[in-house]
Amino acid sequence: MVCLDQRRCVVHKLSTKKAFIAYFAFGWLLLIVADRVDELRVYQGATIAVTTLAIASIILLTGYSGQVSLGQGAFLAVGAYAAALSQTYWQSPFWFTLLIAILVSAAFGFILAFAAGRMSGPYLAGTTLALAVGLPTLANQFSFLGGETGLVYDAGLPPERFGEEFTLYKWFFWIAAFVALIAMFLLRNLLNSRFGRTWKALRANSTAASLCGVNVAQSKITAFTISAGLAGLAGALLGMISIVAPSAFPLSLSFTIITGAILAGVTSLLGSMLGAVILVVIPEIADVIAHQFGDSEKITTNLPGFIVSVLLILTVLFSPNGPAEAMRKRKEQHAKH
Amino acid sequence: MRQLIGTLLIGLTLGSIYSLMALALVLVWRSTRVVNFAQAGQAIVTTYIAYEIVTRTGVFWLAVLFAVVAGALLGAGVEYFLMRTLFRHVDEGPVAALAPVIATLGLLGVIKSLVGMIWGNDFRSFYPPVSTDNFVLFGETIPFSRFNVLVILSTTVVMIIFSFIFQRTDLGLSLRAAAFQPEIARLAGIRVGPIRTIGWVFAGVAGAIAGVLITPNDVLSPASLDVLLVFGFVAAVIGGLESLPGAVLGGVVLGIGVSFVLNYVGTTLIFPTVFVVLLLALIFKPNGLLGSKKVRSA
Repeated sequence: MVCLDQRRCVVHKLSTKKAFIAYFAFGWLLLIVADRVDELRVYQGATIAVTTLAIASIILLTGYSGQVSLGQGAFLAVGAYAAALSQTYWQSPFWFTLLIAILVSAAFGFILAFAAGRMSGPYLAGTTLALAVGLPTLANQFSFLGGETGLVYDAGLPPERFGEEFTLYKWFFWIAAFVALIAMFLLRNLLNSRFGRTWKALRANSTAASLCGVNVAQSKITAFTISAGLAGLAGALLGMISIVAPSAFPLSLSFTIITGAILAGVTSLLGSMLGAVILVVIPEIADVIAHQFGDSEKITTNLPGFIVSVLLILTVLFSPNGPAEAMRKRKEQHAKH
Repeated sequence: MRQLIGTLLIGLTLGSIYSLMALALVLVWRSTRVVNFAQAGQAIVTTYIAYEIVTRTGVFWLAVLFAVVAGALLGAGVEYFLMRTLFRHVDEGPVAALAPVIATLGLLGVIKSLVGMIWGNDFRSFYPPVSTDNFVLFGETIPFSRFNVLVILSTTVVMIIFSFIFQRTDLGLSLRAAAFQPEIARLAGIRVGPIRTIGWVFAGVAGAIAGVLITPNDVLSPASLDVLLVFGFVAAVIGGLESLPGAVLGGVVLGIGVSFVLNYVGTTLIFPTVFVVLLLALIFKPNGLLGSKKVRSA
């Protein structure tokens, strides 16, 4: 393997074939574990798979191309509604609804990026925030979007040959984990390709990149579009395991995804899984703490959001590039001495 | 004709509140180069304080006074404790440019959940100091009340005070100089740090007044000012994000636009309209109606 970036060579990179084997083995391991644990854990496993995808979309966008989206939840919503609508009105098969989710939200992302993607941070941040605040309100305005109750969207029952004991949540987990692993593998290859290098160059110094012949605006729009498509896929899967309704895509969802990405270290794709695990664990911890305060409703509903926001601020203040980047830096300094 | 005048008047009322929020965002942007998403959070705290005072004493003016003071203190506190720490710690790496935006977003989350823990997430409301009944003119009702007059009058007064401070006082001159060229301002003997804090104080005051003025016609909940934040941001972008008169103009333009959609199309299309206006402004007038000629970096 040719190493273009000397600094990065500290981290050993697997070849595509070896990475495929690693992903495959990990997937197999997940299936075995899913067979041994109870329903709640399986459901949480499915949530982790979905959240990993959502976080990966931010890592691609922020960690690689240096853009920010405060409204990733809006793209999740677009994906979920597109998938649900295609199932309701066209009776599409499930795999096709996932494809629709990717395409529609990518198209949506492209339009947005075309207008705002060329702008600097605050403009894009504000525009995406506006999207996340306003988009869920649309569901109440148009009857075909199903209002507060939302739309019906499901992956169907598990095939009968898996037996009676094969539960619905386990089926959801299989689908979510399978789709997430494939998407992550493709994304990994994309980030290691010419595109990934271009985005990294952009993030490091966009002027220098454009002098080297990188089309800055075009690359940023491409990154935004792919990120939106990925978020749309995550949204469809989220709709599958929960519901497709405005309440599933609140503004706090966007905050949560960003927090996961920042906690994971925005430059590391594998970190997205760590971020997702943390995000799924936080509500459990919050439950325990809220119990200490006598389970008052005010505390129970607001504590998870509080913990997530505090973690976000603390990480940005003290370890802005995430634990992975901080460790890499320490390693480098170690190597120098 | 009657409907047209009514639409314009309502647009003016809405627009003046959006202008205040836009002013708050522009003031912070000019002083620190940060779009302060926590502005909605700061305003929600001051609005809840005003709510407590109105429900306990019934004196609206006292509530406004407390909200304004709280807004000023909160603005100063956020700048002093969060922003200064942030700029000390974060100087390099992929997140450095985005860190301030993400930090204000985190602060918005912290404030909203804290407010939820203290006051709960249920909707509250408080009564305006003057009647919201529509005026009757020549036997016809026009959708314009004493409260609307009060909103427009008080925002106008705030704007006059602000423009007096910015154009006619030494403090205003330092504020403008520190925003325009911090390095040169520092060489000219302006203490840029404290001046920045003062910018945040003015922003806090403007945001607090916006929150108190919009709530009597709306409900109060931890998330109720999110929409105002978005509309304020759009107004600020229309005006160019740099210019104070631009923010006011952007607010009024947006307010009248929203009011037209409300009266002639219906509530369904308010949000899509605002969003399309934002995108159009970004595509065709990226420097804003009154923005400087300096081209934004990509």
